[in-house]
Amino acid sequence: MNQFQRPLSRREMLGICKCGFGSLAMLGMFGSLLPSCSGVEAGKNQLLDHLGAGPIPPGFVPRAKNIIFLYMDGGISQVDSFDPKPRLAKENGEDPAKKFKMDATQFGDVGKILKSPWQFNRYGESGMEISELFPHIGTCADELALIRSMVSNFPEHTNANYFLHTGSGLQGRPSMGAWVNYGLGSENSNLPGYVVLDGGLIPPGGLDNFKNGFLPAAYQASLLRAGAEPLANIKPLDSIAGIQEEKLAFLKKRDQHLLQSLDGNDAIEAAISNYELAYKMQSSIPELTEFKEESEATKKLYGLDSPDPNTRNYAAQCLLARRLVERGVRFIELTCPDIGGNADRWDQHSNLKDGHERNAHAVDQPIAGLLKDLKLRGLLDETLVVFSGEFGRTPFAQGTDGRDHNPSAFSMWMAGAGIKGGTIYGTTDEYGYRVVDKPVTIHDLHATMLHLMGVDHKQLTFRFGGRDFRLTDVHGNIVKDILA
Amino acid sequence: MGFRFFQQKSTWIVAGLIISIALFSRCGSDATAGIPDTVDFNYHVRPILVQKCYLCHGPDESSRKANLRLDTYEGATALLKNGGRAIDPGHAANSMVVERIYHKDPDQIMPTPESNLKLTQQEMAILEKWIDQGAKYDPHWAFIPPDSSLLEKKYKKNAVDFFIQQELDERGIKSAPRASPESLLRRVSFLLTGLPPTEKERQLFLKETNEDAYVKMVDYYLQSPRFGERWARHWMDIARYAETRGHEFDYPIQEAWRYRDYLIRAFNADIPYDQLVREQLAGDLLPTPRVGPGNENESILGTTFLTMAEGSHSPVDIRKDEADRIDNMIDVTGKAFLGLTISCARCHDHKFDPISAKDYYSFYGVMEGTRFSPQPVNQASKLETLESLQKIQEQVRQWAHQQLQESGTANLLLQTNNQQAAASADSGYQVLGNFIGSDLDGWKSDGLAFGTKTTLGDPVFNEQYQFIGLREGMASSRKMALGIYGALRSPDFTISTNYIGVEAAGRESVIRIVIDNFQLIRWPIYGNIEQRVSDTKWKQYVFDVGLWKGHKAYIELLPGVYENHVFVQRPDSYVDARYAIAYNKKWVEPINKGLALAALNRQLKKLKVDLSIQSLLEQESRLRLALRDSLRFFYGVTDGFGKNSPVFIRGNYQELSAEKVPRTFLTALGTRGNNLDVAGSGRLQLAEVMLEQNNPLTTRVLVNRIWHHLFGKGIVETVDNFGLQGKLPSHPELLDYLSLSFKEHNYSIKQLIRTIVLSETFQRSTIPVTSSKEKDPANTWLSHFPLRRLEAEAIRDAMLAVSGRLDTAMYGPPVPQHITSFMNGRGKPAQSGPLDGAGRRTVYLEVRRNFLDPMLTSFDRPIPFTSFGKREVTNVPAQSLILLNDPFVMQEAARLAERMEKKGLKKQEEKIQWLYMNCFGRAATEDEIREANQLLTRLSDKNSRTVWKDFVHTIFNLKEFIYLN
Repeated sequence: MNQFQRPLSRREMLGICKCGFGSLAMLGMFGSLLPSCSGVEAGKNQLLDHLGAGPIPPGFVPRAKNIIFLYMDGGISQVDSFDPKPRLAKENGEDPAKKFKMDATQFGDVGKILKSPWQFNRYGESGMEISELFPHIGTCADELALIRSMVSNFPEHTNANYFLHTGSGLQGRPSMGAWVNYGLGSENSNLPGYVVLDGGLIPPGGLDNFKNGFLPAAYQASLLRAGAEPLANIKPLDSIAGIQEEKLAFLKKRDQHLLQSLDGNDAIEAAISNYELAYKMQSSIPELTEFKEESEATKKLYGLDSPDPNTRNYAAQCLLARRLVERGVRFIELTCPDIGGNADRWDQHSNLKDGHERNAHAVDQPIAGLLKDLKLRGLLDETLVVFSGEFGRTPFAQGTDGRDHNPSAFSMWMAGAGIKGGTIYGTTDEYGYRVVDKPVTIHDLHATMLHLMGVDHKQLTFRFGGRDFRLTDVHGNIVKDILA
Repeated sequence: MGFRFFQQKSTWIVAGLIISIALFSRCGSDATAGIPDTVDFNYHVRPILVQKCYLCHGPDESSRKANLRLDTYEGATALLKNGGRAIDPGHAANSMVVERIYHKDPDQIMPTPESNLKLTQQEMAILEKWIDQGAKYDPHWAFIPPDSSLLEKKYKKNAVDFFIQQELDERGIKSAPRASPESLLRRVSFLLTGLPPTEKERQLFLKETNEDAYVKMVDYYLQSPRFGERWARHWMDIARYAETRGHEFDYPIQEAWRYRDYLIRAFNADIPYDQLVREQLAGDLLPTPRVGPGNENESILGTTFLTMAEGSHSPVDIRKDEADRIDNMIDVTGKAFLGLTISCARCHDHKFDPISAKDYYSFYGVMEGTRFSPQPVNQASKLETLESLQKIQEQVRQWAHQQLQESGTANLLLQTNNQQAAASADSGYQVLGNFIGSDLDGWKSDGLAFGTKTTLGDPVFNEQYQFIGLREGMASSRKMALGIYGALRSPDFTISTNYIGVEAAGRESVIRIVIDNFQLIRWPIYGNIEQRVSDTKWKQYVFDVGLWKGHKAYIELLPGVYENHVFVQRPDSYVDARYAIAYNKKWVEPINKGLALAALNRQLKKLKVDLSIQSLLEQESRLRLALRDSLRFFYGVTDGFGKNSPVFIRGNYQELSAEKVPRTFLTALGTRGNNLDVAGSGRLQLAEVMLEQNNPLTTRVLVNRIWHHLFGKGIVETVDNFGLQGKLPSHPELLDYLSLSFKEHNYSIKQLIRTIVLSETFQRSTIPVTSSKEKDPANTWLSHFPLRRLEAEAIRDAMLAVSGRLDTAMYGPPVPQHITSFMNGRGKPAQSGPLDGAGRRTVYLEVRRNFLDPMLTSFDRPIPFTSFGKREVTNVPAQSLILLNDPFVMQEAARLAERMEKKGLKKQEEKIQWLYMNCFGRAATEDEIREANQLLTRLSDKNSRTVWKDFVHTIFNLKEFIYLN
C-alpha cells in the first residue's frame, strides 16, 4: 500500500502522465490534481490510488462531495437542545451526588440538578423532539440524523477541540478538512479546498484546529470572512488600476527567462503559475463574498434581514458556505459569532438561559435556511451538513444557573448526502449525563464522515515520523444505522 | 565489517529508480534485471521485509501472526509446526516464504490480499536469491559503527569530492562546472548566515580572483556573528522552539528566549556538539558547567530543550497529561539526537525498529524523574559573596557553640528528625517532612537558598551584638540571606489522605503540591494545590487533595510566587517551614523536641560578643545586603528522585505492567554504559551513553543534518528517522567518513561545515550538463548544486537587509508578534508587535504557539510540536499573495526605493543596476535593463506616483529573490 508515502512530486506526475513539461504546474497548490493532463480526471483520484492517499476501494460509492461543518463552539447543552430529560424537571434542585456517581468537572463547582428552561416540541413525520431553542431547525427534523450518544475523551475546550478537529487531543495533527482534501483533492483549482469561515470566534486552541499538521501546507484551511478583505492579503495594495498587471507581466517574462536559463526547474515553474492563481483569486474571492446575485427571498430565508446582528453574521456564513459548495470547495467549517455580553460561545458556565438563547437565535434560522436552500438547489444530496460541539454539558448546575463541561454525553446531528433523515441514534441515561446505548466516539464520527465522502478511514494514511497516521488513529467504526 | 555491506548498494539504488518508474508506468520489466550478484541484507532485502512483512511478522509481538517473525535469523529459520521452515538458508526452494509469496491461492499468498501489500516480481526474485545465498542477517546499517579505516585512507584534496566523484564516475555522470563567483558569494552568504551579501562583502570577495579568495570568504562567513543566528534556527526546528505553551490561553514559557540566545552563542563559539548534547539533556547536572556572559551558568540554559512542550492549564486527567508531556519529551529527544522514533513504542513494541515498549518506558522513567523548575539566570555571580558569607556564619556559629559547650546543648543540636507522631487516631496520618531537627528530612534542597541543614542551633544576636539564643529548627530559604533562590522539595509520595498541611511562614512565597509533575497550577481545578505564604507568623496551610488520592505528588516550597505561570522572586521574599503532614481529619503536630531548646534560650544570659566576632557580624550584614537584589528566571528542569516506570499496557496508564522497567539505554544499540538506573533521573548518564563510541547514531544524525542544511537534502533523506523505515543513505561511506572526522575534530560543527563548503561538490553550478540530467534526474549523485527556495526567515531577513532596515542587534527578549486582523482567539496579546518586527532578524521575533506568524508559516516554518529536521517546501497561493499584497513587503519595497534614491545615482540605468546588485548580488543583463526601463515607463504612464517603489516591489517578487541559485 505504502510504496510511496507522500503525494506525487511533479517529477513523478510527469512520469505517469507523459504529458511533458509544463502541463501540471498547479499540482499540489490546493492539494488538487487539475484536469490539465489528459487521462487524469480531477477529483476522481486514480493517481492517489498509487499512493495510499485515500484510495477508493471498488464498491465504495461516495455519497457526499462536500462537507459543511457547523461548529457549535464551547459545547452546546444536550439536555436543553436535542435530548429531552423530563426527570430533570422532576428532580430539579436536588443533590446530584445522591442520584448518580459524578466525574470531576472542569470547574468543580457542582450545584443541584437543573431542569431545562426550555420546552421540547415534536417535529416532522419523525416526531423528533427538539427544544424551543431551535424552532427553525425543528422544521427540518426529517432531514436530520440525530445522534444522542456522542462521547469525547476530553472535558477541556482545547483538547476537546483538537480531538474533534484532528482526532487527537494534542496540538499539531492534521485537521479533518486537511485529511479530506489530502484524500480527495479539491474540485476547484481557483479556491482552496478547505475553508474556515471566521464568524468572530476562533475556538480555544487557535488556528491549529484548522491546520495541516504534518500534511503538506497546501491542505491547511484558509480563513475567509465577510467584509472588504475576506482573505488575508487578497486585496491588492496598488491603488491605481493596471499597476499590478504591469508588475505581473514583467514578472512573467523575467521568470520565464530564469526558467529557461536553468534548463527548466519544476519548483520554479510551479511557483510561477502560483502567481497566476493568486491573481485570479484576487477577483474570484471578493466576488464570492458579495451576495449581489442572490435574490432577496434567498437572503431572507437565511435571515440576512434579521434585526439580530448575530443572526445576520451567521446567515452570511451559511450563505457563503452554500456558494462555496457550489464552487466545489470540499470542506467548509463555520465558526460561532461573538454574541457579546457574558455569553462566551456556547460555554455557559453561568447564565445558561441568556447565553443559550442568544447563541441559538444567532444560528437557528440561518442553519434551517441553509438546509432548505441546499435542498431547493439539489445540493443537499451531495453535501453533508454536520452540526456539533466539542462536548456536552452537565445535567446538574455549575453554581446555580450554569452547566459545566460534560464529555460523557452530547448530541449532534448530520443531514444531507447519504444520511437517513428523521433518525435518532443512541440513548443517554435519564439525566442525559452518560451514554447508555450505542456510544459514538469522535473517531466513529470521523470514520462516518470519511465514509460518506467515499474514503475508507483505515486506508487514508500519511507516513510521518516513522508511522502511518490516520485521522482515526487506530479506532473508528462507521455509524451505519444513520446512513440512507 | 561495516564497510563490506555498502559495496553493492549503488547498483541497487539505480535499480530502485527503475522499479519506481516501472510501477508508475505499469508496464512490466524483466524481474531479474538490475539484481546485484550478491544480495545485501541491509540494502536489498530489509527494505522489502520492513515494508511488506514486518507489520505481521516483525518485532512487535502483539501484532505478530502465526507466531512467525522474520526480523531475526532465529525467528525466520525456526522449525514450523508443519515441519518446514519459513526460511531455509541456502535453499530457497525449501523455504515456506518462497512458496507463499508465489502462491496462486488467495488464501495462501503472502502478503495477504487484505493487507493491500504486494511484492513485485523483482522483490520476489531478490528474496529468493538472498535465501539461496545463505539468508544472512546483518544488523541495521545505522546501528553498525563506521569503519575507522575510512579515516586513515589518503584522499586527494577534499574527501567529500572523492566520495561524490566515485559515485558519479561509476555511473558516467558528468559534473557541472563551478558556479560563478557572484552566485557562490550569494550561496555561501545565505547558507552560512541566512542573509544576502552586503555591498562591503561584495567588494571584499568579488574583486579577488586568486585561489584562496573563496577560502577567505568561507572563513569570513563562518566567523560572522550572523552565522549563529542562522544555525541556531535550524536547531530550533528540532527543539520545537516556542515561547508560549499553546493550549487555551497560550501562557508564556518563562524567558524561553534565553535558550535561543544560548544556541546562537554556542554555534558562534563552535561549542563542541557533544557538549551541546550533554547540556540540553543534563545541563543542570554537569559537575563543571560552562560559564557564559556575566559569569553565569551557561550549560543549564540548554535544558530548556526539555521544557518546550505544549502545556494544558486545566487538564481534568493530569496523569494522562503527564504521559502526553513525557511522550513529547521522549519523541523529541529520540529524533533530535538519535534519529529514532522511540515514541512509536509507546503502546506496543516498535513495529519496525528494534525498540521495545520496555525501551520506551526506560526513557519514561528518566523523564518522570525530571522535575520542572524555575532556574535563576543571575545567581552564579553571587556565589563568591555567598561563600564568604557562609564562611563567616560558620565561624560565628562555632564561637556561639563554644560559649554553650557546658550547657548540654550539643546533644540538642545533633538531633535529627524522627517521624514519631503525636498520638493520632487518624489512620492516614503521615509526617511528610519534619524540619525541627537539624537535617532536611530527605527533602531535596535545590539551588542555594535552603542550604543543606535546617536553622537548628544557628546563633541569634540582637542589635547590640549580644548573643541572645539559638534558633529553632526549620527549613528556611533565608537561612543564609534573603535574595537567594532555592527550592525545597519532598520526595515523591502517593496521595492517600484528604489533606496535606504545611506549617509555614514567609513573605511573597509559595507552597505547591505538585501532582504528577503538573506545573500550570491554577483555577478552576487546581487552584487549591498552590498557596501563597504571605504571613510572617507561623500558619497552617491546608491543601485539600482528596480528589487526587492515588496520584504521585511532591511538595514544593519556593521563596517566590508564580504570576500567571511566571516565577517572580522579590528581594525580600522568603519561606520558612516546620512540618508537612498528610492527614484525613485533624491537624496533629508532630512532637516538637525543639521545646527543650526554647527552655534553654530562656535561661541564656545575654552575652556580649567580643570585637572580632562583632566585626564578623558587621561583615555578615554587609554581605547579606549585597545579595539582596532581584533575580531573573527561566523555565528549566532539575533532578527529582530516580524512578522506574512500569510499562503502560497499550499505552494506557490505567493498565500497568506488574514489573517496573529498570532504566537502561536502547538495548539494540549495543552501548556499554547502558545503565540509567541511578539515584537521580539518569539524564546525565543518558547523555553520556548517547555519546559513547559504540553508538554511531548521534554523530551520523548530526553530520547528516548539517549536510541537509547545506545541500537541501540529507545523505539520509529522512533526517529525523534513521530507523528501518528511514531512507538508506545515498553515500554511506561519505556519511561515515564525515562522522569519524567530526568526532576526530572534537565535534566541531564549524570545521565540518568548512570541509563541506570547501568541496568542489558544493561549489558547482545549479545547472546540470544535459547528459547528467537524463542520467540522474533527481540529482541523487550531486552532479550539480541543488537549486532551492530560501527559508521563511531568509526571505524576510533578505528584504530587511536590502531595504537597509535590518537591525543586527543580537539577543534579548523577543520582539512581540505582529497581530493581523486575521489572528484571533483566546490568549491573544493585548498589543500587536510592529509590522516590521522592529527590523530585527526573524530569529528574534516572538514565537507564540497560538499566534504563529502567517508569513513565516506560509513559507513553511514548522508548527512547533515535534522535531522537524527537514522542512516542507510547499508552493501555496498564500505565498504569492503575501509577496504581492502584504503590507510588510510593500513597506520594505518603499524603504529600498528610498534608500536607492538617496544614493544620488543619476541615470535610470545606474539605479536599476544598483538594485539588481543589491538584491541578487549580480549585475543586470542588457535584456533586464531594457525590460526594466519598459516597466518603469509603463508604471509612469499609469500615473504611478511611486514608480520606484513599484519597481522594487516587482523585484521582490522575482523568483530569483526567493530562490538560491
